[in-house]
Amino acid sequence: MLAALVTGIATGAVYAAVALAYNLMFSTSKVLSVTTGHLCMLGGVLGAWAMGNAHLPMPVALALAVAGGGLAGWITDVVAIRRVLARSDEHLWLLSTLALATMLQQAVGLWWGTEPKPFPRLLAQDFGAGLGDQKYWLPVVVAAAAALGLELFYRRTLYGKLFLAMSEDAFAARARGIPTDRIRSLSYVMAGMLGALAGFAAGQLTFAFFALGLTLTLNGFIALAVGGLGSNRGALAGGLALGLVNSLATYGLGGEYQQTISVGLLLLVLLLRPQGLFGVRALRPV
Amino acid sequence: MLAGALFLIGLPLLAQDEYQLHLACLIGCYWILIAGLNLAVGYTGQLSIGHVGLLAIGAYVFAILAGRNGVNPYLALGAAGGMGGLCGLLLGLPSLRLPGFYFAMSTLAFALIVSELILAQGGLTGGGVGLAVPGFPKPVDTPAGFYCLVLAVSAVVSLLAWNVARHMWGRALIAVRDSAVAAAAVGVPLFRLKLTVFVFSGVTAGLAGALFASLQSYITPDTFVFDLGLFFFVCIIIGGRGSILGPFLGTVVLTVLPEAVAPLARLGNFFYGLLLLMVVLLLPEGIGRLVSVLRERFWPVRLESVAVAPDLPRLARALGHKQP
Amino acid sequence: MSLAAQAVSRSFGGVAALSRVDLELVPGEIHGLIGPNGSGKTTLLNLLCGYYRPDEGRILADSVDLTAAPVERRAPAGVARSFQTPRLLPTLSVLDNAMLGGWRELRSGFVASALALPGARAEDARLRERATELLHGVGLGRVLGRAAGHLEHAEQRFLEIARALAAGPRYVLLDEPAGGLTGAEIAHLGGILGVLRGAGIGVLLVEHHTDFVFRVCDRVTTLDLGRVLARGTPAEVRSDAEVIRVYLGA
Repeated sequence: MLAALVTGIATGAVYAAVALAYNLMFSTSKVLSVTTGHLCMLGGVLGAWAMGNAHLPMPVALALAVAGGGLAGWITDVVAIRRVLARSDEHLWLLSTLALATMLQQAVGLWWGTEPKPFPRLLAQDFGAGLGDQKYWLPVVVAAAAALGLELFYRRTLYGKLFLAMSEDAFAARARGIPTDRIRSLSYVMAGMLGALAGFAAGQLTFAFFALGLTLTLNGFIALAVGGLGSNRGALAGGLALGLVNSLATYGLGGEYQQTISVGLLLLVLLLRPQGLFGVRALRPV
Repeated sequence: MLAGALFLIGLPLLAQDEYQLHLACLIGCYWILIAGLNLAVGYTGQLSIGHVGLLAIGAYVFAILAGRNGVNPYLALGAAGGMGGLCGLLLGLPSLRLPGFYFAMSTLAFALIVSELILAQGGLTGGGVGLAVPGFPKPVDTPAGFYCLVLAVSAVVSLLAWNVARHMWGRALIAVRDSAVAAAAVGVPLFRLKLTVFVFSGVTAGLAGALFASLQSYITPDTFVFDLGLFFFVCIIIGGRGSILGPFLGTVVLTVLPEAVAPLARLGNFFYGLLLLMVVLLLPEGIGRLVSVLRERFWPVRLESVAVAPDLPRLARALGHKQP
Repeated sequence: MSLAAQAVSRSFGGVAALSRVDLELVPGEIHGLIGPNGSGKTTLLNLLCGYYRPDEGRILADSVDLTAAPVERRAPAGVARSFQTPRLLPTLSVLDNAMLGGWRELRSGFVASALALPGARAEDARLRERATELLHGVGLGRVLGRAAGHLEHAEQRFLEIARALAAGPRYVLLDEPAGGLTGAEIAHLGGILGVLRGAGIGVLLVEHHTDFVFRVCDRVTTLDLGRVLARGTPAEVRSDAEVIRVYLGA
């Protein structure tokens, strides 16, 4: 039971981190990118390669993984978002990010292989630590730090305030001379770095696996929708709720119905509170 | 048109080996699903990426009924279609009310749930080991015979989709896609249309699944990887939204291409992703649009500008006709 | 027999866009709705069409209560509209666009349509014939097959009117139909509105072009700050001191 709780919180933290990355990109572009989970997957795979295959020291591997995630985020913006946002067809960004996510996943599959591979130890710790093992608390620390960091970023820095202005009304922000293209690119790079950091920290929990991206895209989205689109507190709460529901259900019923139960949670929340736990109901002008 | 039909009917005689016929059957099975899915994705603009789940349901219903329980394969085929439609209804009821990305994610989740349930219910589905699938009785027990069955079902499904597309329903579906506001203003019930079309696509996916399973003769959960759902989706987008011929050609080309060009098969889904990205960025209306783009480039049609000159007596007659 | 808004109020975020406004549109009249920007014209139109629900008051069409009916139930009740920015389907032909307007007359369902049953085919042919006649009537007879995305502005406006007429409505709400039209085209529009009046259709004309409104309308309602400022015949409204002060200017 305690093991289920600890696992639930740890996986929940990964989902929460993905949901935070979703929010970061959504704030400046109003786009939900299918590549979000793949950014996280990249962090895990790059980290495992750098430490396991290239035998680089941990800080270098971390820097490499985060840089790789940031690059992937930037590519998402340049390739899949920038050109598409100019057209007013709301379906196109879904298609372009889906295409890019597929390419990312397959490229990693071809290069890294399609088997999940173990992730090296990040900190010197005995394997006998049980539930105190780093693989459980590292993701939690990263997700909490990311949420806190974002909060400070939004409140204290000029760029953070620009993000908020764009989130309110991108059109007005552009009219006031804010370089909206650059701000959006920055938000995608940051989301990529955040996702990769989370993937790196959670590597020992999830393994380095090319197909992880799609699962995380879906579960991170469920966390986001449960918590409320656009709310970082909601992302944390949603991720935690999803992780706990998942692991407790696995504890009670066995692991066979995980996805079914996650979606059940999503449907329940959307039915009772369509804007999510912490979301605001959107006004819909005609 | 006629030549194409003759070619399709005569294909068993022309095919040089069984493999070519197998490929033709595979295209047929995919097309049966895509013909229905096209109404939902290409016409109505509902981007379902999880139709592989409905394909799997049709396949397993057929395998369990016809294989395990000895039900007549034709009945089992019908049951697979019915089950596909029912599951389409169950999936569509909650998800079609959601905005685009939410809907796409719901269909993705649906596909994952289906494969999860197939694994969990091993007693019924064979779990990870899979199930053997029977063929059809004489005279459909040969490759050529099976091809004719697939061809017949494809033809019927295509005809149905074509009828829908070229009549009032087709116009209303495109209105739902391109301007929900205008559609509602003329009285089109948006949700009912979306749901109806989605159920139809479920039925065709179920039928396709049954035929697909019989063609493969053995199915496991791995037969229905999520990437297959993506493949269907890509066929439609590349072929062009709001067309039936385009997605058909897309299905044929995308099925044959990796078989003909070995390096593409190795790249697999990377290639499909790249194609999709290029189409979205360069030709959002699909490759079929390329023809008309080129034509306009080289033989521009000059649209003569006609001054609008109402014919008021005729308008009065048209309206008077209506008034009691 | 009328399309009526009875004492409707609507506010957005605490700001009243309309307060207790009455409007009655009877068959066979052209009713102008004018007023400065932000006076509530569009809000009133959207209440009649169902895009917003009134906070108070009722919407009735021929004494059927439509207050809570969603947008897609307005067309079956005989209410059709055009949009300020034309909302056409760019990939479909002019004829297809106009035929779409006849949706509410369609009786055949999906299955009948998929099987192309004789009834469904006959229905389609009938709608096609009516749309063709209407398009010739509004002056688009020579571009029936052209994609709506290739139409010029005036053609788009007239196509919207043909689409609104395709289902034989009793009330037509036109949102700034003269916007962007040339003088000759506005004269054509006036002719078309006259025919609609003759056919017993009630036309609500929301328009900035006051000369045009005073020329073609039977009655005019002026809104200001969400209230009715004046209503009556064009001559009465035109000479109303308040209307001149607030809207028309000296």
